[in-house]
Amino acid sequence: MRRLTLSGRLALLFAGCTAVVSLLAGVLFSRASEAHFIELDQQLLEGKLIAMRSALQGADDPQRFAERKAQLQDELSHQPDLTLRVTGADGAVWFDSAKGLPATAAQPTGLHSLQHDGTAYRIYSAALEPGQAGSPELTLMLDITHHQHFLQRMQHLIWLTVGLSALATALLGAWAARSGLRPLRRMSEVAAGVSASSLTQRLPEQQMPGELAELAQAFNAMLGRLDDSFQRLSAFSADIAHELRTPLSNLLTHTQVTLTRPRALEDYREALHSNLEELQWMAQLVNDMLYLAKADHGLLTPKREALELGDETDMLLEFYSPLAEDAGIALGREGSAKIQGDRSMLRRALSNLLDNALRFTPAGGEVRVRLGETAKGSYLRVENTGEGIPPERLPRLFDRFYRADPARHEGSSEHAGLGLAITQSIIRAHGGQIRCESAQGRTSFVIELPRQE
Amino acid sequence: MKLLIVEDQPKTGHYLRQGLSEAGFNAELVADGTTGQHLALTGDYSLLILDVMLPGRDGWQILQAVRGAGLEIPVLFLTARDAVEDRVHGLELGADDYLVKPFAFSELLARVRSLLRRGSSTPQETTLQLADLRLDLIRRRVERNGQRIDLTAKEFSLLEMLLRRQGEVLPKTLIASQVWDMNFDSDTNVIEVAIRRLRLKIDDDYPNKLIHTVRGMGYVLEERQA
Repeated sequence: MRRLTLSGRLALLFAGCTAVVSLLAGVLFSRASEAHFIELDQQLLEGKLIAMRSALQGADDPQRFAERKAQLQDELSHQPDLTLRVTGADGAVWFDSAKGLPATAAQPTGLHSLQHDGTAYRIYSAALEPGQAGSPELTLMLDITHHQHFLQRMQHLIWLTVGLSALATALLGAWAARSGLRPLRRMSEVAAGVSASSLTQRLPEQQMPGELAELAQAFNAMLGRLDDSFQRLSAFSADIAHELRTPLSNLLTHTQVTLTRPRALEDYREALHSNLEELQWMAQLVNDMLYLAKADHGLLTPKREALELGDETDMLLEFYSPLAEDAGIALGREGSAKIQGDRSMLRRALSNLLDNALRFTPAGGEVRVRLGETAKGSYLRVENTGEGIPPERLPRLFDRFYRADPARHEGSSEHAGLGLAITQSIIRAHGGQIRCESAQGRTSFVIELPRQE
Repeated sequence: MKLLIVEDQPKTGHYLRQGLSEAGFNAELVADGTTGQHLALTGDYSLLILDVMLPGRDGWQILQAVRGAGLEIPVLFLTARDAVEDRVHGLELGADDYLVKPFAFSELLARVRSLLRRGSSTPQETTLQLADLRLDLIRRRVERNGQRIDLTAKEFSLLEMLLRRQGEVLPKTLIASQVWDMNFDSDTNVIEVAIRRLRLKIDDDYPNKLIHTVRGMGYVLEERQA
């Protein structure tokens, strides 16, 4: 079943509210007028009762009553809507001007209503002589059909008002809701128009009403992220092609040139060696890309071994120490941290960071690994001295094929600029985070790993 | 040493056979799983090299049949697929090693030699020697031409590996994995530096060089006639 639209819902709610309010008002009004009528009737009947009592003063037995009958009938003839019944204390009906009305003897004294033959009556019973035992009872019956008609008309009017006002507010409400929700429709238009080629469109946040500003902001942020990922993805494809094109063209040219004429054995060997280097570089690139693709598909599932990060760091520092010594860079570690993680993956991640740090540290500089534990987990910082990275380059540092130093051209090193991306994938697979800080001649890569239960 | 290669890609299979034959092995090549399984079960091979994806029966089925028949031949898998589950699956079925394409031939050769060595029980050596280079495993001392050479622990391990596998071309990745336990494509510059430093101590003062670079492949320790 299709859910109601928001404006439909609002219109129905408005209509419902109006209906309830006008219904309540109507019911109150009709109750009040009914009470008012009863009061009027009572006053009228009480007046009549006094007149009747005075007319029938002392007629407390059938004989004396019969004497006054003519006077009574005369009195009643002036009031066509009033009927009178007189009942003796023994229950015998002495007088009844309304034949055919049901007996009312059983009724207690006071004001009642009675419906008979399509006519409504207000009945008022009272003793002829109050306070005296054996007094005959007077029952006055007033035809109140016109009151009832009025009340019925009024009820119809009330229902009509309820219906019409509900309808009117429904229509007005629908209109109001539609115009009130226009920013939402604008939002959905933008959303519907989003495609790979139009990720740059944004909602005007300033023009949105308060309630929607937040949503619009979130929506714009989402578009921003999508745009960013998409840009990176398409740049990635372009970069792959570009990275592969250089070694491929080297291979093609070199092989073709070598084959153009007979050469010395040594030349062939040289050509093959050169090709081998290009091929190894390409194989490395493909392997790195496969690793990243695996990470992207969530196939990088780290083992959870208890690791002493200090020991792992020392191992790697030992591995890199010849390189560092050659370059005149001091290596060191501070602190320790126990974590759960995949030894081989984390070694790879850390090795990429150290490799990176050594590459960018000038002779006489220092690369230092700081470890520690906080309430939330463990951290690992790889710090190196050196020129530092300009702040605008920091966010893109972990992008694939991104090189902080644009002067380094492709194919010049063993790494195609995937090392940091791989490190980031590994850390993310461990549920951790990595970021880079660079200030005052010190660059730090900070890994934060959450505590494992 | 008789090896069986089951590989359905003609070019790969051809170069594997050529490379292994030239490395001194008697390598046979078949291109489909059914023939491969038959030969693996009936021929007397020292090692099987299986591709995973094969026509007829795939590499895992062959491995299951071989292990099912109670044969303990070492099996090395070659595959273009690098899903972790695949690797785990292969090793669970009793594969001995696993290489993902693209791989370097020198890497394959080194692993084949490792697997073949694993079976044979070499007597416990106390000294390793090549020409006038002597490595004493018990006293952890290295001498060349009777002169003692001081090595760091890692340099000692590196030299020990080169000596144990003298004459074999050892790829940098294998050295990183065996000596430093770095089982991933780490920066191989480090190996170059380490080798250079070892050379400085072992070879530089002597006319007869023992450590040789095989360009694009790795390093080999052997005595070469000048």
